[in-house]
Amino acid sequence: MSSVDGLASIYPPARFLRDAAFQAAFESDGLTAFRAKPLAVVIPESSEDVIATVRWCHDHGVPFVARGSGTSLSGGSLPVADGIVIALNRLNQILELRAAERIAVVQPGVVNQHVSDAAAPHGLVYAPDPSSQSVCTIGGNVAFNSGGAHCLKYGMTSNHVLGCKSVLATGEVVTLGGPSAESVGPDFTGLFCGSEGLFGIALEITLRLLPKPEMFHTVLVGYQSLQAAGDAVSAVIDAGLLPGALEIMDALAIEAAEAAVACDYPEGAAAVLIVELEGPREKIDVEREQLEEVLKKTNPFAQRVARDEADRLFIWKGRKSAFSAVGRLSPDFLVQDGVVPRNRLGEALVRIEQLSQEADLRVANVFHAGDGNLHPLIMFDGKQAGALERAEALAARLLRLCIEMGGSITGEHGVGMEKRQFLPEMFDAPTIALMDRMRQAFDPKRVSNPGKMFPGKEADVLSSSGLHPLEKAGVISRE
Amino acid sequence: MNNRLLKPAHADDLITMMAAEKFVLPVGNRTKAPLSASADAALISLGAFRGIIEYEPSEFTFTARAGTPIADIQTALAEKGQYLPFDPMLVEAGATIGGTAAAGLSGPGRFRYGGIRDFLLGARFVSGDGQTICAGGKVVKNAAGFDLPKFLVGSMGRMGVLLELTFKVFPKPSALRTLRVQCDSHTQALARMAKAACSRWELDAIDYRPGERSMVLRLAGPARAIESIDHEIGTTWGEDVAELPLADTFWQSVNELNWSAPGAAAVKVPTTPPQCIALHQGLAGEEAIAMHGSVAGNVAWLLVASTDGLAAVDRQLQVMNIPGLVVRGTYDTPYLGVWQSPKIQQAVQAAMDPPAKFLSLYRHPRPPAQVN
Ligand SMILES: Cc1cc2nc3c(=O)[nH]c(=O)nc-3n(C[C@H](O)[C@H](O)[C@H](O)COP(=O)(O)OP(=O)(O)OC[C@H]3O[C@@H](n4cnc5c(N)ncnc54)[C@H](O)[C@@H]3O)c2cc1C
Repeated sequence: MSSVDGLASIYPPARFLRDAAFQAAFESDGLTAFRAKPLAVVIPESSEDVIATVRWCHDHGVPFVARGSGTSLSGGSLPVADGIVIALNRLNQILELRAAERIAVVQPGVVNQHVSDAAAPHGLVYAPDPSSQSVCTIGGNVAFNSGGAHCLKYGMTSNHVLGCKSVLATGEVVTLGGPSAESVGPDFTGLFCGSEGLFGIALEITLRLLPKPEMFHTVLVGYQSLQAAGDAVSAVIDAGLLPGALEIMDALAIEAAEAAVACDYPEGAAAVLIVELEGPREKIDVEREQLEEVLKKTNPFAQRVARDEADRLFIWKGRKSAFSAVGRLSPDFLVQDGVVPRNRLGEALVRIEQLSQEADLRVANVFHAGDGNLHPLIMFDGKQAGALERAEALAARLLRLCIEMGGSITGEHGVGMEKRQFLPEMFDAPTIALMDRMRQAFDPKRVSNPGKMFPGKEADVLSSSGLHPLEKAGVISRE
Repeated sequence: MNNRLLKPAHADDLITMMAAEKFVLPVGNRTKAPLSASADAALISLGAFRGIIEYEPSEFTFTARAGTPIADIQTALAEKGQYLPFDPMLVEAGATIGGTAAAGLSGPGRFRYGGIRDFLLGARFVSGDGQTICAGGKVVKNAAGFDLPKFLVGSMGRMGVLLELTFKVFPKPSALRTLRVQCDSHTQALARMAKAACSRWELDAIDYRPGERSMVLRLAGPARAIESIDHEIGTTWGEDVAELPLADTFWQSVNELNWSAPGAAAVKVPTTPPQCIALHQGLAGEEAIAMHGSVAGNVAWLLVASTDGLAAVDRQLQVMNIPGLVVRGTYDTPYLGVWQSPKIQQAVQAAMDPPAKFLSLYRHPRPPAQVN
């Protein structure tokens, strides 16, 4: 095709890939359920390369998808068939780290963990910590407004992004926000965060850094029922405490974690709760007493306080390994990330249990209890006829349950390809129409990551299911 | 001049009234007069849209109508031991929650956990074409759809009429203490602010009065804990540290923008810490200007007692190539200094407001913005 030649002329051959092997490597993301073959994969090494590519795509009406590390769990970075994949991993420089101002300016391909690593010598940290943080990129985090285990206290990615220079789908280069924590005028930076790659590509992102908490106090509590664990979460909140993390795992998830990493969680627990306080030592001294008082009244049958940092990481290991551990119990699984109001958690879990029995599929529950963010893992065997369809039907029921309860279809994984048909169930027609007009404003030709977030048939895909290749290789695990 | 004040009783009313007007500008209690004034738009008062609709303390969330005075919200939250961590401004003056979000104003306490943008979870609003839009969510975590609520923060009634807003709240710290740290130069002050901002202390506010070279720190938390941190700060900077007397009055005067020259015009300038100092130095010759640096040098508040003073601020911001917003007082335009106006901004404004009912951003009709 002569049209692709124009794009090819921007890149040396080694960074403009059209052969089948490379295309296969990029055909999927963390949601392995979907696959699509791109026309070409380009590997820019500078912002200018990205800008030239986007302009070329815009001029020729060829769709493109920005790609960080491809760990999206909702098919966000899935290529568009016959479109261009713009792989951003080589834009991996931390351009500036101004410790005194607590900001870092980074390129989009910088790995999340590397920001905190670079900030550590200054006693600072980049707070958002998705469990894929050792591989996922800041560009992907910004596009998906990614979360982690500390969102109740610290918020999501967008709460830590002060500005971003981007090339929009039209080829216009804009600087949104800036180095100050404050701003005037409408919050374009906030709008760009979570736009799932539909507005354009972030090129330079200004991040807010925070002082690393001086101390952690981590408690593992065992309960005889899920309900009791859920109630304990409310009790902690009602006591006026603001823990950095509040996480729950149910019996099936514990069983899986135990088998995988021997995490030594209380035997026979129907649920475990992990509560983590963090802050200056004097504050923790006071709050740990408060926490102890509160937990005493929640009927725990076992309780353990992390003795030291190694022990703390050991407690977290069970939690962090839960997803890949479930992958060992079942050949295939689907994970959802709906949100319910926190004080309806207990009710939601009972409903999930019922729906799981009705569907005759096991569901393990691991969740960010502090912010009501569920992660039900629906287990199935893809080799059985109709099993995937039943699992998907159950996943759909769970998402609708979250909507009915006044929550959200996604707390942190984004809508992407996977949940696009549910967006109109969460938002009414005028709201969807306005979102569509906003998209049109940024991308009149609909070339930037088409087929994602909004329902429709903008992009056709193939489907299958399973663990992310990096999880199978034991490189990362999910929360 | 057409400064008619329309007073819709409910949303349908508001939509009908909007449809009949050429230009509209939603207003709350007009505590930020320059943003609620226009020569040719009909003002739509949200005065009837008042009251907390839902408050779930154990959820850390509440939903209130846009015209609800913040003071009412603070009272309701305080009864349950909670507060608005973005530290709202102009509360005594009568600011409403909708006006505060639309103006995008946060106080010194935003240093700790973030500004109003970071606590807004969802919004119901009317777009320019009279549609009621429900965006964001009512739960503390949500990543579905575009974040329109955040976009409305700072939109100054030029993108939509806010009807209801849902916020996240936090437990209120049980004790506060304020320390003044006297510095002998701006350079020393910058270094100390950076040290304080990066320290283990988890301070609630770090402010700076460049005129007096004094840094003001607010500690928040359990009394026992702040006692000990206070002690450590004392050890760090020795005799330069003293507890600030009448601290409540001090902070209130900052939040109400009346620590100097009552009634003076007030200008907000987002800065980096070095810019905050540079701005002060650039305005050094101006008698009528008092500056307060807040959020560890991330915002400069200027109280300006004369029109000439505002012109000087405008010039200085032009030199520095940064924007400033007049939130109180009379001037040709609320937009001082340099405002970027990329093409996308017009496209987005057209998307939010297809019939162009709202005033266009950063273009202000003259003559002076004053409403009585
Ligand atoms: C094991 C595992 C655990 C996970 N745990 C969590 C978790 O705890 N919390 C959580 O929130 N998520 C989690 N995720 C999901 C995923 O890691 C996040 O969504 C992450 O932000 C994706 O980053 P990425 O670099 O892989 O982006 P990709 O998957 O490559 O891309 C994601 C989206 O971002 C767009 N994009 C990428 N770069 C840019 C850019 N520069 N500008 C604009 N758009 C861009 C892409 O087009 C795509 O739509 C997990 C995933 C896995 C596999």
